[in-house]
Amino acid sequence: MSGEKPDEQEYSFTVVKWFSLAAVVYLVVGALVGDFIAWELTFPELNFDNPYISFGRLRPLHTNAVIFAFGGSTLMATAYYIVQRTCHVRLWSDKLAWFTFWGWNAIIVAAVITFPLGLTQGKEYAELIWPIDIAIAVVWLAFTFNFIMTIVNRRVSHIYVANWFFLSMMVMITILHVVNSLAIPVTLTHSYSIYSGVHDAMIQWWWGHNAVGFFLTAGFLGIMYYFVPKQANRPVFSYRLSVLHFWALSFGYVWLGAHHLQYTALPDWTGSLGAAVSMAMIIPSWGGAINGVMTLSGAWNKLRDDYVLRFLVVSLAFYAMSTFEGPVMSIKTVNALSHYTDWTIGHVHSGALGWVAMVSIGAIYHMVTKLWGREIYSVSLVNTHFWIHTIGTIIYICAMWVSGIMQGLMWRATDDYGNLVYTFAETVSAMHPYYALRSIGGVLVLLGSLIMLYNIIKTISGARQPVSAAAEAKA
Amino acid sequence: MDKHNQSNKPQDTGHEWDGIRELTNPPPRWWLISFHIGWIWCIIYFLLYPSIPLINGSNEGLLGWTQIKEFKEAVVENEAVKAPYMAKLKAMSAGEIMADAELRNFAESAAKAVYGDSCAACHGAGGEGAEGLFPVLADDDWLFGGDIDTIIETITEGRMADMPAHADMLESDQIEKLADFVVALPRGEATQEGWALFEEAGCMGCHGDNAKGGALNDDTFSGAANLTDQVWRFGGSREAVLRTIRYGVNQEDIAETRSAIMPAFGVKLTPEQIKILAIKVHAMGGGK
Repeated sequence: MSGEKPDEQEYSFTVVKWFSLAAVVYLVVGALVGDFIAWELTFPELNFDNPYISFGRLRPLHTNAVIFAFGGSTLMATAYYIVQRTCHVRLWSDKLAWFTFWGWNAIIVAAVITFPLGLTQGKEYAELIWPIDIAIAVVWLAFTFNFIMTIVNRRVSHIYVANWFFLSMMVMITILHVVNSLAIPVTLTHSYSIYSGVHDAMIQWWWGHNAVGFFLTAGFLGIMYYFVPKQANRPVFSYRLSVLHFWALSFGYVWLGAHHLQYTALPDWTGSLGAAVSMAMIIPSWGGAINGVMTLSGAWNKLRDDYVLRFLVVSLAFYAMSTFEGPVMSIKTVNALSHYTDWTIGHVHSGALGWVAMVSIGAIYHMVTKLWGREIYSVSLVNTHFWIHTIGTIIYICAMWVSGIMQGLMWRATDDYGNLVYTFAETVSAMHPYYALRSIGGVLVLLGSLIMLYNIIKTISGARQPVSAAAEAKA
Repeated sequence: MDKHNQSNKPQDTGHEWDGIRELTNPPPRWWLISFHIGWIWCIIYFLLYPSIPLINGSNEGLLGWTQIKEFKEAVVENEAVKAPYMAKLKAMSAGEIMADAELRNFAESAAKAVYGDSCAACHGAGGEGAEGLFPVLADDDWLFGGDIDTIIETITEGRMADMPAHADMLESDQIEKLADFVVALPRGEATQEGWALFEEAGCMGCHGDNAKGGALNDDTFSGAANLTDQVWRFGGSREAVLRTIRYGVNQEDIAETRSAIMPAFGVKLTPEQIKILAIKVHAMGGGK
């Protein structure tokens, strides 16, 4: 059935190496900017009255750095890596792959310049101005085309499940990005969205939630479907489960955006539709988590000393948790409390730090040893990274849970006379300790990413000998 | 890769990708059941709530729920608690409310968030003001009058003081001397020469013959500060006083002029909210 597996040398891995390194660098940058703005919220004096480093300008820099710079580089590294290895064929075009590498990085540089200057479209996770939006579409389509052509050239009869997820991401992100970014330019840096009012808001959140659903979920499930069975050296638990949850997620996710706009000018039916389908997404989401975790059954002992597997398994736990939490937050009664509070920020970070970052970190540690053919420089540093990242994430999430729920309850608290108990300023000052705690959680995540960068640089610069042929054969 | 999971040797799909195989295990039973329940949930929810777009609007939903209805019901529920107090609050004058212990408690409770959200940003959470910028409320020095009706007027209509700039009207040594006089006044060190200059320069027209300002002199301009006390609207240093005399207050086209504008809250707050705010402010620092 399966075609002959080619020699490692036949694959095009240099671009994968560069994307992997870029991902680690952007993880450090994204965490650094994120933690700095967390401290700015704790101590507003830290903006030093300098507009270029004020929260409003650095916040989109942080979100774009982690989602598109770190997340995007990880996705491109892993997609190029996985598609070759699971299609048993070299990338369709090396040149196009390099175009996506330099193009994507040029876009990131443009983001780093334009955001501090205050140039923005004002759409969350789509802040980049219109010329950069066009560049994103071009590079993304080049990436998609190269990926699809590699699949076309495959030497195996069936397309592996990881590649389905990558494909669904590529198709949907293209549609979402283009439709949401449609705008009429008036100058080189300024444009007006072609939508207005509540339509604009709906299109924006249709994009916003599916940046989470297809970029940060489908893409990273693709990563999970390769690295979990590969690292555990176990077959995937259930083919049928993967088919079911793949199609359920692909059809379901696109409806969810409206749950971001409940109790607004959005018509009732749109919000209810979003909330209903959100609840129905819990089980399909868990399908992915279960398939990953059950793949490990019989290999649990490996968790004791397999540093990569540990990241992957914990990422699945966070994935299952945040895909439960999100639908719960979309229920009207919960949403009325949670909307506009820090709870949302906590939820996003349990997905971003717990799921996306951890599965990526695991995948990158795995790839680095394979790509450079070396053992990791220090396993104990990876273990330190694991614990410091996990603890930092938990501190962050818990601080935001408490802060967010407290904030929501304080906003609506009334006394026996029916009057508001708290002023808005009192709710802000009550959040201060949790902001500090969140910033400390962020410091830990940042430290972890620095340790990772150091460990990986040491690994590829050859601080330890290449893996012997015997060890290679075993793996 | 030689041993499969568990017993019974589950079959794989017969495909292999980079050494990875897939087993043909069925999804866990509980998962499959929950999976179907999820879709059934959707259908039930669609029937209960407006969620299906039709040609003319959406289905109404069996529960009859709409978000605006939910909002209005919550408002009605909240207003029912307040209603008995609000009715009295509306009917009674501020003076009568202050005399009624229970209503005063209600007013205090109701004023807290209104004060915090509308007033505290300038006047401080406790009415402590901001030195040189915004007046203190928690003292008994009133620029426009501290009786309850005047406070209500101040909040409703806003206030904008007006002191002319004297830089072009007086000689600079006269201004220096006036500043010395104003600084000396509250210390009880004012000279006869100073009083004479105070009269000659026309200061008495607003601040009064006794320099006690507008609120204490019915025949002078409302808003003119009492210069004989230790309370300073724009700072009591000689430098600060010099600037106030030279450039005045709220003078157009003069960059260094003092800005002292209280916005009119009548457009933002209800008469009842203003009434309770006035009672709160009155109680803060000794209303008249």
